[in-house]
Amino acid sequence: MQFVEPETVEEVVAALAADPTSRCLAGGATLVAMMNADLVEPGGLVSLRRVPQLATLTVEVDGTAVIGAMARHAAVARFDGFRGAQRIVRAAAARIGHPAVRNMGTIGGSICHADPSADYPTAITAAAATIDIAGPSGSRQLAAADFFVDWFETALEPGELVTAVRLPADLPLAGVHYEKFTRADGDFATVSVAAVVSITDGLCEAVRVAVGGAAERPVRDPEAEAALVGAPLSPAGLAALGEALQGRCNPIDDVRASAAYRLALVPRLVARAVTAAARDAEQQEGQNS
Amino acid sequence: MSAAPTAVGLSTPRRDSAEKAAGAARFADDFAVPGMLHGAILQSPIPHGRILGCRTEAALRHPGVRAVITALDLPDRRVGSFVKDERTLAREMVRYVGEPVAAVAADTPEAARAAARLIEVDYEELPAACTLDQALAEDGPLVHPEMAGYVRNGASPWQGNVFWTAEIREGDTDAAWADCDVIVEGVYETPAQYHAYMEPCSVLAEPDLAGRVTVRSSAQSIFYLQGRICEELDLPMSRVRCLAPKIGGGFGGKNGVNVQPIAVALALAAGRPVKITLSRTEDMEMLRSRHPARIRMRTGAKKDGTLVAREAELLFDAGAYGDESPAVMSFGLLCSRGPYRCPNVAVTGKAVYTNKLKAGSFRGFGNPQATFASESQLDELAGELGIDPIELRRRNALQPGDTWLGGQQVDACAFTACLEAVSERVAAEAADLPPPRPGWRRGTGFAGLSHISGLMGTSATVYLRGDGTVALSTGVVDIGQGSDTVLPQICAETLKLSVDAVAYAPQDTDSSPYNWKTAASRITYTAGRSVAAATVEVREKIMRHAAEALECAVEDLELLPGGQVGLKDAPARSVSFKQIAARAFNAAGGPLVGQNAYAFDGPRFDPKRAIMNGFAFDNLGIYVFGATAVVADVDELTGKIEVRKVWSAHDIGRAINPLSAEGQVQGAVVQGLGYALLEELVWDEGRLTNPSFMDYKICDSLDTPTAIVPILIEEAPEETGPFGAKGVGEAGIVGVAPALANAIAAATGVRLRRLPMTPERVLAGLEPDLLG
Amino acid sequence: MSETGRMAIELQVNGSRQPALAAPHETLLTVLRERLGLTGTKRGCNQGVCGACTVLIDGEPMRACLSLALACTGRAIETVEGLGDGLRLSPVQQALVDKGATQCGFCTPGMAIALTALLRRDPAPDAEDVREAISGHLCRCSGYVKIIEAGLAASRRNEAP
Repeated sequence: MQFVEPETVEEVVAALAADPTSRCLAGGATLVAMMNADLVEPGGLVSLRRVPQLATLTVEVDGTAVIGAMARHAAVARFDGFRGAQRIVRAAAARIGHPAVRNMGTIGGSICHADPSADYPTAITAAAATIDIAGPSGSRQLAAADFFVDWFETALEPGELVTAVRLPADLPLAGVHYEKFTRADGDFATVSVAAVVSITDGLCEAVRVAVGGAAERPVRDPEAEAALVGAPLSPAGLAALGEALQGRCNPIDDVRASAAYRLALVPRLVARAVTAAARDAEQQEGQNS
Repeated sequence: MSAAPTAVGLSTPRRDSAEKAAGAARFADDFAVPGMLHGAILQSPIPHGRILGCRTEAALRHPGVRAVITALDLPDRRVGSFVKDERTLAREMVRYVGEPVAAVAADTPEAARAAARLIEVDYEELPAACTLDQALAEDGPLVHPEMAGYVRNGASPWQGNVFWTAEIREGDTDAAWADCDVIVEGVYETPAQYHAYMEPCSVLAEPDLAGRVTVRSSAQSIFYLQGRICEELDLPMSRVRCLAPKIGGGFGGKNGVNVQPIAVALALAAGRPVKITLSRTEDMEMLRSRHPARIRMRTGAKKDGTLVAREAELLFDAGAYGDESPAVMSFGLLCSRGPYRCPNVAVTGKAVYTNKLKAGSFRGFGNPQATFASESQLDELAGELGIDPIELRRRNALQPGDTWLGGQQVDACAFTACLEAVSERVAAEAADLPPPRPGWRRGTGFAGLSHISGLMGTSATVYLRGDGTVALSTGVVDIGQGSDTVLPQICAETLKLSVDAVAYAPQDTDSSPYNWKTAASRITYTAGRSVAAATVEVREKIMRHAAEALECAVEDLELLPGGQVGLKDAPARSVSFKQIAARAFNAAGGPLVGQNAYAFDGPRFDPKRAIMNGFAFDNLGIYVFGATAVVADVDELTGKIEVRKVWSAHDIGRAINPLSAEGQVQGAVVQGLGYALLEELVWDEGRLTNPSFMDYKICDSLDTPTAIVPILIEEAPEETGPFGAKGVGEAGIVGVAPALANAIAAATGVRLRRLPMTPERVLAGLEPDLLG
Repeated sequence: MSETGRMAIELQVNGSRQPALAAPHETLLTVLRERLGLTGTKRGCNQGVCGACTVLIDGEPMRACLSLALACTGRAIETVEGLGDGLRLSPVQQALVDKGATQCGFCTPGMAIALTALLRRDPAPDAEDVREAISGHLCRCSGYVKIIEAGLAASRRNEAP
């Protein structure tokens, strides 16, 4: 097994192309765990830790938050540059695993693993993130909704890597709430809901809700979201959104829960999350006025 | 005699705490020796099958491999505590996924694992009885069709997959039901719980040129281990030496053998030291779990709450091999009346083979299962009768002088005090808890409990040293429960020394006096008794020497703190232990040594009182009592439970080391919370689906309340115990699940009879039509 | 790279530079325990869940079982052996002893590391902070109560943790 530590994204791409059996080593939280369990045996390892471009965590002039692929969960959870809807990603980062894992794990590693029960995929979907990708054919961008394809499967082509996750600045006053339902602390979500709500003069201006742990990838329903816009949030409206999302879910039975239970949780947690996000929006408004 | 204690009752920090905090304490896997090889074990991939053939050539050729063994390289014999049905490595048949089939020793762990994967085994897969119902079905597959030929250590009826049955009957339940004003009945189900000690099983076996093997392993007994290694490999005990390194928890899971005989066999085959350290997944798949159980129970009472009759059938799912099942099941039966007066009892138990991981000893040993049913039913009765749950228990509570189910007399019993203690604390403190959040409902639940402390044999030796300090030696392995400190405390107090004056020998089968196991909450009581008695022997010798030195009668003397003997009326006239040692060692009588050997000899069951058949033991221990109270909140929307506070009162007799006893109780309570809320090994057609800490969750610090209050009640000392003490190692776990179930019932009206009480099960109880 | 696939690397451990051999797939945990003889850091699950393998890397708690040794060069690694000074325990370690917070002792090194990192960051934590700091460390013996008490006791001592 080769171990290389390139210093630029180009060098990473070249190393992956040189040995298609090699894997990127980001934080190691997932890859090394799988290696330890003999579930994967990479032909080589391309360590990303010396590529400065991947470690950025900044806000651009237009307010877009750029999270480099190697940004650790703990750093994202502490970052005070997020505004409005972007804060959903910070809320999710704070709930990943346990403190030591948050010091190691990276957003790039997490989203490339594409576990629908993990926290980032759901959160970045609700944040309407776009994902920067570099590869042998150059760079490209994908919306989060298009990035997650199936259980543990992304739209990355062989030889490509994620370089950054971008969070748009389009909802700078939105309230957020990440509702993570687990059977035990630090577990993967049984079901999770990432909610973003923008309210102006008591009327809902924008709603983005993603459900995790209930399908092969995070679930959103933009039409059902749109139906809430222009009116105050109401129990009936939340119930309708919850039902619509529930209808799009396709959960499995596993040791954490049955599919039936997960489905039952969806509308309940959606209502809770959106209500809490609305409260957060009010607090944001209070702070800004 | 002066009253202030010198050692007993003091919360002395454990003497090995500092090295543990420094990371200097050495557990089995921390040892490495030159030339050491690593062992890997090939496991069965199927739940039931015949081994048609096994080819090891490819494995032997793998670089770095030094030995490969199968059952054919080992003596053809079966072992087992009660039914000799098990082998070191599977021979002819495999009976559960994960069963050890072959083993490899190689230069590196990777080489050993890779080579193990190259061993070719041909199986003829057979139909498997993976569940209790499949095993009990009329023409279900038989796990041990040749059971008739097995040696059994005890008589008990058996049939099909039911390999051990037992019953207790007192009074006349058939007639008694007619006298009952209220009868409740239910079926209770409890899961297979994994011990989840933090240290995975590990062993280092070193052969030497004298033809012996030294074994350092993570095990709850050096002597039981030595005995089993020798039995399995047909070796005399003089050739096997077992040492105890630091043990990273056991809870019963390291009571029996794990992979030590395999490591010894590899070491002898390779002629080199061999270490085997299991991965967490292997540890979960290969060894043993708590018995899952299904209990049908029926209880009848009078209008005023007086218990009249109890009937129960306890089915214990034993997995593929008997291990300690007859004892666990028997003890569950023994506990199924609970610490109450109830004159008519008929309880039967069955241990059933299934084609999955075997079940064995685990803190509580059948009692958590039985008590979940029993204490749930008492609350159900209380509900039907409109009587307060504590009051119902109080009315029926066992009192000193009463008899346990089966006839053993209970002398020291502070059960009522335990019930009152938790009841008072809840009344005083529950209101101080922050109120439940919107959408959450709060309930308080209680459970009474009892357990035993005692059983089997032990011994101790005490030496007076030249400077008047003392050396103590026992065969007791400290698995984290603190015996390395408590036993020296008992020795020290007996001589009125501080505990620092007692040196304590490490455990080694070559030199330590025999002790059965660290199990059954027995060490403080049983080994403590032996330590005290051996120390008394030294004390008496000291007194005789002092009488000679001071030219008086022994009756005129008293022991003074700090290693002195003085005249009762003139303590200034004294002689020190050091002086006595100087006098004795090389002249008057030789070194002062005290020894004691003791096997629990309490009253046996009374055949005039009860019919007891099939019992795996006839002589157990003394009884310990307790009560648990829980305040818990339930989220109506999701079924999630959060425990706010737990109180756990225990009739400990005397707390030798209160800090240590508190820690034991708190740890047991949290294990009980896991059992009640979170933990369940789940199989799918014989395959364990969650053999990792990712998928099998135990409580972490955020899953548990910080308010876990141990209440140590010392008002009823046990006369036969050292300084009045009895053991509480297990008791803390017994009442938690039923107390929590009772709290949930109080909060929501929903009676849950299946553990763990996951959010899903709670929600299904709250909204029966929701999940379909 | 040698026949075993191991390369010579240098790790900065407990303030001193330690040469070691490590193959690319080998974790920091393996190298600490088996090459450097630092067995205080424990392997409880090898999956990053139990916390017994936790060390400080550049002052932050991290799982040694999920860190590849080759990716740890150039970083400051602290293990439990480095917290005290010879036969003197650090205040965190001493508090674990005094409060009866060690039973079997297997989780103790990881707990000591987590509490040390907490107190360096926040010298006056409350019980909730302590509970959170040890949330990634499983203990099967103690029920966590006395470990939390130890963390609070250590913080009250006002010394470098």
